Amino acid sequence: MKFMGSAIAILRKDILLELRGKESLSLMLFLSLLLLVIFNFALDTGKENVSSLAPGILWVVFTFSGILGMGRTSMAERDEDAYLSIVFSPASAESFYIGKVLSNLLFLVIMEMFTLLFFAILYDFEKIIGMLPQLLPGLLLGTLGFSLVGTLFSFLTTASRYGEVLLPFLYLPVVVPIILGGVSSMDIILNGKAGGAGKWIQIMAVFDVLYFAVSLLLFRYIIEE
Amino acid sequence: MNIIELRGVRKQYHAKTALGGIDMYVRRGECITLFGPNGAGKTTLLKIISGIMSPTEGRLLYNDKPYSESDIKKDAFYLGHRTSLYTALTVMENMDFIRRLFSLNHRRQVEDILRGHGLWERRNDPVNELSQGMKRRLALAKGFIMSPEIFILDEPFTGLDHRWRSAILAKINDIKKQGKSVLISTHLVEEGHRLADRVAFLHRGRFLFIRDREEVDTAEIYGLFDSMGELAG
Repeated sequence: MKFMGSAIAILRKDILLELRGKESLSLMLFLSLLLLVIFNFALDTGKENVSSLAPGILWVVFTFSGILGMGRTSMAERDEDAYLSIVFSPASAESFYIGKVLSNLLFLVIMEMFTLLFFAILYDFEKIIGMLPQLLPGLLLGTLGFSLVGTLFSFLTTASRYGEVLLPFLYLPVVVPIILGGVSSMDIILNGKAGGAGKWIQIMAVFDVLYFAVSLLLFRYIIEE
Repeated sequence: MNIIELRGVRKQYHAKTALGGIDMYVRRGECITLFGPNGAGKTTLLKIISGIMSPTEGRLLYNDKPYSESDIKKDAFYLGHRTSLYTALTVMENMDFIRRLFSLNHRRQVEDILRGHGLWERRNDPVNELSQGMKRRLALAKGFIMSPEIFILDEPFTGLDHRWRSAILAKINDIKKQGKSVLISTHLVEEGHRLADRVAFLHRGRFLFIRDREEVDTAEIYGLFDSMGELAG
């Protein structure tokens, strides 16, 4: 109970920080809109192509907007060494990690929902909103994987002077299975391809469990030194 | 009884020796003031004691048991050069966050602490709109909600005017009276000397001395600072 209490206190604090500082979610939303506009100009996204291009475009947007947002939530902890308030409290390193994962997850889900909405409007592809219930498992598992890994690596890299530059180089290779699973499952659902999305959903679930276990173990060492 | 004991603690940053074989202890309820010029190793020593940093070599005991960094962190309050505040949040939101982490329900206590630190009127202001001295006071006020066993304060008087220095001195004295231990580093000789039960002078990572306050007068400390070309407060 105390474990989750600390995690919820951290989540609540991050929501307040976002409401006051608008440094994470608003930047993510702006970047995702910007990327969607760029892809709209750069690619031939006519009615006949949009369905096959959507998974790739959307997961690229999710990935890069996510990196930006998670980097910012970790920076908020490093500014003024604010995270030491949590370190010198009864909250365990594990509840600290869970709290940060929850807040990153919340911001990522909001960003993704807005991105899907922007996408439907910009690309004249309302079908994607109608298919949201089928897309949701893949989206949620992918987002959870992003948050589990991103929370760990963003906290690790923000300790370095080159943190925001380093983050994509460390984070992207590790989340490749999630991106692959997310793109493939979305492609299968949107384009009715054979093979079924279930296999990819299962792969993402396995990676999420793996990411969770490893990150939970490592987070303590990252905040201790 | 010793709350903390260090035996042969060394800290090396690549080729540079920040601490070279520190032996010391902190008794329960005592206050030790660390003096020393810039770069003497005071901050490194306080970070090692608080568990933020690991020593390169040496043993640390906490309550006569081998040190666990997570144990000391649950029992200590550390105020470093930075304030450990969320600057986008208001004064009250910062205090509320700490209160929730410690699962405390005493909102009244938070009010009393903020009043005692002259921050109640500014409770709804974001921390980034406060003066440096106010931020420092708020950072210290957090320690009073936490009620730890040991206060580790690195230059706690930085940015405070005379009036608030005296107020903070009185508060640190209150902490001592409650049987808590206090470790302070400061350049302010008079204030640091007045607070201390024991006084230590660190230079180039080693203690020149660590003695009872009665055995050290402020002139000696001023003299040491002078000989090292540093201005003491």
